[in-house]
Amino acid sequence: MSPGPVAALGALLLQFPFDPVYLRSIVRVSLYVSCVAVALSTAVSVPFALLVAFTDFPGKRLLTSVVNTGMGFPSVVVGLVVLFAVSNQGPLGPLDLVFTTEAMIVSQFVLAAPPITAISLAAVSAVDDGVRDAARALGGTRLDVALVTVTEARYGIATAVLAGFGRAISEVGSVLIVGGNIVGSDGVSRTRTLTTAIQLEARQGRYETALLLGAVLVCLVLLVNAAVVRFGGGRVRR
Amino acid sequence: MILRTRGVSLAYGSESVLRDVSVGVDRGEVLAVIGPSGVGKTTLLGLLSLAVAPDRGTVELDGTDAWAAGESERLALRRRVGMVFQEASLFDASVARNVSYGLRVRRSWPERVRDGLRSLVGSPDAEAVDSAVREALDVVGLGDSLDRHAGSLSGGEARRVSFARALAYDPDVFLLDEPTSDLDPRNTAVVEDAVRRASQRGIGVVVASHDMHQAERVADRVAVMLDDGIAEVGPTERVFADPDDERTRKFVSGELVY
Amino acid sequence: MSKHRATRRRFVAALGAATAGGLAGCSAVTGASGGGDRPGVVGETLTLTTTTSTYDTGLLAELNAHFEERYGVTVEAVAQGTGAALETARNGDADVVMVHARSLEDEFTRQGYGVNRRDLMFNDFVVVGPASDPAGIDGMASATEAFAAIAEAGAPFVSRGDDSGTHTKELAVWDGAGVDPGGGWYQETGQGMGEVLNIADEQGAYALSDRGTFLSQRSEIDLTVRVQGPIEGGPDLLANPYGIIAVNPAVHGNVNYDLAMAYIGYVTSPDGQERIANYESDGEQLFFPRALSEDPNFRQYVPAGWSANGTR
Ligand SMILES: Nc1ncnc2c1ncn2[C@@H]1O[C@H](COP(=O)(O)OP(=O)(O)O)[C@@H](O)[C@H]1O
Ligand SMILES: [Mg+2]
Repeated sequence: MSPGPVAALGALLLQFPFDPVYLRSIVRVSLYVSCVAVALSTAVSVPFALLVAFTDFPGKRLLTSVVNTGMGFPSVVVGLVVLFAVSNQGPLGPLDLVFTTEAMIVSQFVLAAPPITAISLAAVSAVDDGVRDAARALGGTRLDVALVTVTEARYGIATAVLAGFGRAISEVGSVLIVGGNIVGSDGVSRTRTLTTAIQLEARQGRYETALLLGAVLVCLVLLVNAAVVRFGGGRVRR
Repeated sequence: MILRTRGVSLAYGSESVLRDVSVGVDRGEVLAVIGPSGVGKTTLLGLLSLAVAPDRGTVELDGTDAWAAGESERLALRRRVGMVFQEASLFDASVARNVSYGLRVRRSWPERVRDGLRSLVGSPDAEAVDSAVREALDVVGLGDSLDRHAGSLSGGEARRVSFARALAYDPDVFLLDEPTSDLDPRNTAVVEDAVRRASQRGIGVVVASHDMHQAERVADRVAVMLDDGIAEVGPTERVFADPDDERTRKFVSGELVY
Repeated sequence: MSKHRATRRRFVAALGAATAGGLAGCSAVTGASGGGDRPGVVGETLTLTTTTSTYDTGLLAELNAHFEERYGVTVEAVAQGTGAALETARNGDADVVMVHARSLEDEFTRQGYGVNRRDLMFNDFVVVGPASDPAGIDGMASATEAFAAIAEAGAPFVSRGDDSGTHTKELAVWDGAGVDPGGGWYQETGQGMGEVLNIADEQGAYALSDRGTFLSQRSEIDLTVRVQGPIEGGPDLLANPYGIIAVNPAVHGNVNYDLAMAYIGYVTSPDGQERIANYESDGEQLFFPRALSEDPNFRQYVPAGWSANGTR
């Protein structure tokens, strides 16, 4: 590595070492798995956060601390647990999910749900009670009040979704275990994501190409963040 | 009486706030509920707005006992009442969207989804704003502020928007909690004028206030709350000039200091 | 049957013109052997768990492409390392395994999880080290002596430490050298072969590597071969034989045994073996066929209670 890593990376970019079909397919698998997992996590986490924030039930504090602990779940452990569940021997064995994108979605769902829940919970709890009372007094039903709460907490929830997406798309341990990092012999990814592709390159000591894929991943995360801020976060305050 | 309580009692834990309170308001009438801070005016408005169930007694709108009615009927009753809280508590959105909220929740879901999608695509153009929204904002003198964001309003303007928000869906009864506390004289005048115009439209208005002078200015009748009940109800002039109740006399003359 | 043909035609069309030449050769073989007789596996998927060395060298991609083309099937190859590959198969999540640790393979078969193991191919391990050669092992004829010298000198050594076939072999060599490796000079990484070579390169350390990975990486590192494997006249201890095993359908009823056997048949056929022999990286042959033998071996492992009909 005599010319310095930056120059090396620049040279690499020029002679682009990947088949575009291959690269596109792993980007597609990465985005598909992470987006579906994050959408499912959000659909579960936000109502759950509303429930925890605005109702009282026994075990609420225990549940909250379980969620907070969940943010620190090592992804490899999640991968192993999901593998156990979907393996031929496991409870979901008959569904034949091992080494499929569906299994990867399951494990990323498990990984993304705790941060999305915890950050959404903080965001909806911070919504002014007066605003919720106003929504109700103006004729809102319970559902309307919940929608107002979510709307008021939208910046916090967008942050939660981004945190969950960041965790999902940059995670390598569980998708490698349950997905198997498979590419068809036509050079199209079945279950290979950017992260497992990076892992594969690094395993073979090709750190420069691994770094290049890392740059693609970072660009992707930046793009998604920008998109969420632009379209999901609502209009900028005037 | 369009809205009334009959012998309602309410306690927070062991502390009784209202005991056997019966009070009501007619269409087109302004009733002021006055009394010292902490006496239970806000609590009474909570009962009148059908948000809170009394421990005992009934709350009736147009002769229907709200808490004997089913969930959906109570929602329909609740939607005929406009409540303006002491804090503006505006939604983090434009003035137009704040004021149209009451109208939107009354629409059918397909309509609301269509409305939501349209607002995602482009900014809602001025023509799409309901005339009721413009009218309500005109009443509080903010007809030209449709597109401003709630966060950019002054305290007085925000309170006036929260007033318009409840006026927009044309309720039968209007409940105002300390509508002018912390407001400057100009904003106060706008709000008091709006109260009068609401009652002229046939709306029954209840104003809770610790300010006796405000009651004298806007109310047809006053209810004086002392301790955990209504000490005296009657025409404004009569109650202030010649109260029947001894404690009321002391309160309106400023002798009774709470 | 006609449906199968349509599937296959679509599949072939998707392959495009680039493979047309290979396809022609393939149909010639099919035509000669079976008069248009199609295997009953078209459209199915074979899950193969294997080691990183067969995968990362690109050999599998080459072998599988031809298999898929000939049978109209899909092969999903999961590269895991020998220990994990066998464990996945134990759980019934793979149809066939291709690994390189005979002791583990035998255990797998003895336990009843695997059937019909075949020798597939071999290459060899080499002991690589820095130019300075601090342990003075260059050109030694015995791997165990070289390892003993490394331990004696306390020269740095980087180990896979990951239960892979290479790691299993490394431990066998230490065992033969009578050394229990440990201490400051011995470093277990838990990493893949390529990473281990990079680490050894940076640290001027020795390492045991499969020849294929070393060859594909040698232009980027300063390590050189210190002890050759049997391919270049080194000790037999450094031989690296690969086996292929079908998962026992009597243990895991869900596995695709027919396709697994078709695959084993293909890779051990003269055609498959020729492809292995012809596979080169950087102009070097990486694997040597081993399935074809002049003296046939008739012994076959058939687990108790298994019958050819009624399992699928
Ligand atoms: N949510 C509540 N929980 C317990 N006590 C309350 C609550 N709301 C009000 N109170 C108490 O009830 C009494 C009446 O309060 P409120 O109706 O707000 O009086 P006012 O509006 O006349 O100032 C006060 O003593 C107050 O502390
Ligand atoms: Mg109050």
